[in-house]
Amino acid sequence: MARPRKVFYRRRKVCKFCADKIDYVDFKDVKLLQQFIPERSKILPRRISGTCARHQRLLQGAIKRARHLALIPFTTD
Amino acid sequence: MRTYELVFVVDPRVSDEDVVAMTQEYKQMITAGGSQISKEESWGRRKLAYPIAKLNEGKYVLLCIESEGGKSSLPAVEHRMRQNDKILRYLTVRTDEDLKRAASRHPKTAGRAVESPTGLADAAPASGGPGGPGGPAPAGASAAGEV
Repeated sequence: MARPRKVFYRRRKVCKFCADKIDYVDFKDVKLLQQFIPERSKILPRRISGTCARHQRLLQGAIKRARHLALIPFTTD
Repeated sequence: MRTYELVFVVDPRVSDEDVVAMTQEYKQMITAGGSQISKEESWGRRKLAYPIAKLNEGKYVLLCIESEGGKSSLPAVEHRMRQNDKILRYLTVRTDEDLKRAASRHPKTAGRAVESPTGLADAAPASGGPGGPGGPAPAGASAAGEV
């Protein structure tokens, strides 16, 4: 009688940096940083990426440094 | 000991030889101030993520500096760079504290990067440099070393 309930599987997010044991986020590692800047070139919030607070903080700093050197865009126009 | 990383972006219209000459000059200033250059890298011509001074490309140079505390010549170097209009951007970052903090987070990992603990002598060099993606082999090895 009861309608079959849709089951949502939510993949558990894990902090990439914790998983890969990256403790120093290098601003020169463009490939790594690029994974955290989506289309609009904003910094991907950790709500989405699942990055832990510590690493999000490090990541944020690294992205800002990379932006200064024009390795990463501030915006897409 | 303090370590710094200095990256600067040069106008792409400057010839490679001139870039080398400029780098040489900055290096001399740094070594004259009692610091060593531990690494020098030229990334060559690279596309800028956004135009700077109407230019779309730049030549990147990286210098890693080791300084024995005390007086540093870096402010002078930065001053020089600011005056040079061929330098589009520069960035100096002090790295020793952050790296030390990072190393203390994962003493096992860091220890592996510098010197492999017991029984990993041949596994560690194959796993690449520090901060490399923790492959399954070293990860398992470090877990074993923990006990």
